[in-house]
Amino acid sequence: MKLFKSLSVAAMAIALVTSSVSVAGASSSLSGKIVINGSSALLPLTLQAASEFKKLNPKVKISASAAGSVTGPQSVRKGIADIGACDWDASMDVPGFKKFDGQVANKVAIIPFAAVVNKNVGVNDLSTKQLQDIFSGKVTNWKDVGGSDADIILVNRAFGSGTRVNFQMKALQGADFLSKGSNYKEVKSSGDMKTAIETTPNAIGYIDLVYVTSNMKAMQINGVAPTEANVVNGTYKVWAYGNFMTKGQPTGAVKAFIEYIQSTKFQNGSLKKLKFIPLSAIK
Amino acid sequence: MQLESSAQRPIIGTGASELGGSIKAGSGKKFDRKNRLLIYNRFFKIACIASAVFVCLVLFSILFFMFRTGVLTFQDVSPMTFFFSTDWSPENESYGAFVFIFGTFALTLLTLVISVPLSVIIAVFLAEVAPKWLRNILRPVLDLLVGIPSVVYGFLGLTILIPLLRDLTGTNMGDGILAAAIVLTIMVLPTISRISDDAISVVPRKYRDASYALGATRFQTIFKVIVPAARSGIMYAVILGMARAIGETMAVVMVIGNTPQLADALFKPTSVLTSNIVMQIANVPFDSTWNNALYMMGFLLLIISLLMIVLVRMFQRKGAQQ
Repeated sequence: MKLFKSLSVAAMAIALVTSSVSVAGASSSLSGKIVINGSSALLPLTLQAASEFKKLNPKVKISASAAGSVTGPQSVRKGIADIGACDWDASMDVPGFKKFDGQVANKVAIIPFAAVVNKNVGVNDLSTKQLQDIFSGKVTNWKDVGGSDADIILVNRAFGSGTRVNFQMKALQGADFLSKGSNYKEVKSSGDMKTAIETTPNAIGYIDLVYVTSNMKAMQINGVAPTEANVVNGTYKVWAYGNFMTKGQPTGAVKAFIEYIQSTKFQNGSLKKLKFIPLSAIK
Repeated sequence: MQLESSAQRPIIGTGASELGGSIKAGSGKKFDRKNRLLIYNRFFKIACIASAVFVCLVLFSILFFMFRTGVLTFQDVSPMTFFFSTDWSPENESYGAFVFIFGTFALTLLTLVISVPLSVIIAVFLAEVAPKWLRNILRPVLDLLVGIPSVVYGFLGLTILIPLLRDLTGTNMGDGILAAAIVLTIMVLPTISRISDDAISVVPRKYRDASYALGATRFQTIFKVIVPAARSGIMYAVILGMARAIGETMAVVMVIGNTPQLADALFKPTSVLTSNIVMQIANVPFDSTWNNALYMMGFLLLIISLLMIVLVRMFQRKGAQQ
């Protein structure tokens, strides 16, 4: 809701600013149609960029939709979409998904993730090893990682989720997830993850940093708190690039659109407002 | 042409052509009233048939497309594995859907065990016991309950029912088949009780009079005479409720835990056909065995609900014969 609000406020502000700009700068000769499909986590960013880009290039039509990360590169391969938004770099193998040959990953944003627990959990800090043990089911009680004597409730995203792929690669360093058990459940979306963690005592899960609320606790990993500052200064490692996958190097309107998203103006403006981290923040 | 042929025809025609027969041919122009009527009639008939054909076409093409994609599963997975293996881990190429098939039936059964007695008692109360003013309030209330979107029930289940179950039973999570069955019970209760209520209301008054005349108590009259007399109507209601329970997705996915393991305990996170499809369909690669297996599961659901509808029809006919 908060995200939606800030999105609409940002959209209105941009509309006001750019309507005056576009009159002056509408000399752009770009035309064409861009179809974007894929990650729902990147959709707010895509929509915001699309509405701004269309103001500058009125002849370009952009249609963006989202289903799930993997549908992005798949649609590109099938030729249904020009850009496939994907939470991971689909031109490389990741746990569970083979690479998509011939596709180029265009980085557009930085997405940090956090391991989150219910507020009743007394533990504040977990090492990578402890996270691996918890998520693979080797450690099943909070007392084994310095908490009180209570069973750990594991909340996982469904296989194929972009957040899951990234969390597995960055926080668990590729270690496997548990997939069964009476204290294990899977949820469908980031929103469901939020509700599950907030309402289930002793639960642990993971979520995009944007979704962390005051009703849950974000874990320190190896002693580093998951904050934007720590991502930028390089101490917090659990983040990933959001990618726009294209078939080969992008050309024409698609290229211009991706360049617009990567431009300093957009990265430091709307992108920051939507709580993503600009690419330039990390050297 | 048309004018001539219909003029030659005897007045006692059949079907649509009969309608214009009694009208005089007027000035004999091509488009007089009689001919217009004939054309309208024919046109309307064609429109009706086309609509009926369209509905059938939609149904059969859905069945066909689900089956066409679903059956590809069996290129890579043997039917024995698909239907009877409990190991569903598509990332490791095992596609055993038994967990979900079993889950669907177990969940439906559990839902009916809780909801049918409750609904029948509510129906009896509405039709036989409640004073008229209360009945006039309760019936619209139940009708309104039918219209509440399932995601609302699911959300309430997730935020109220599950913490409650956790507190009451001391389990760690509360997710599982019991939570899902309770949510579904609340969902199908209005459907089953309202239709049963109608069935009980139409039991002829003479049955009651005869029962009382023989010295039966009210309780005996209701449960020995009226409910059995309304049996086929109640069965109809139960099957409609069952069809709703089997196909329900959003409410179930929020409280069942979505873990592919056999539902051998009331509080173990598990998964059913609908919840598994909706959890995974957005994230599967196109043209993969996984995708096909999900379609096959959808096809199974369709077949199950079609069977239910056939059953409903049978009970309706039986009810009509009585």
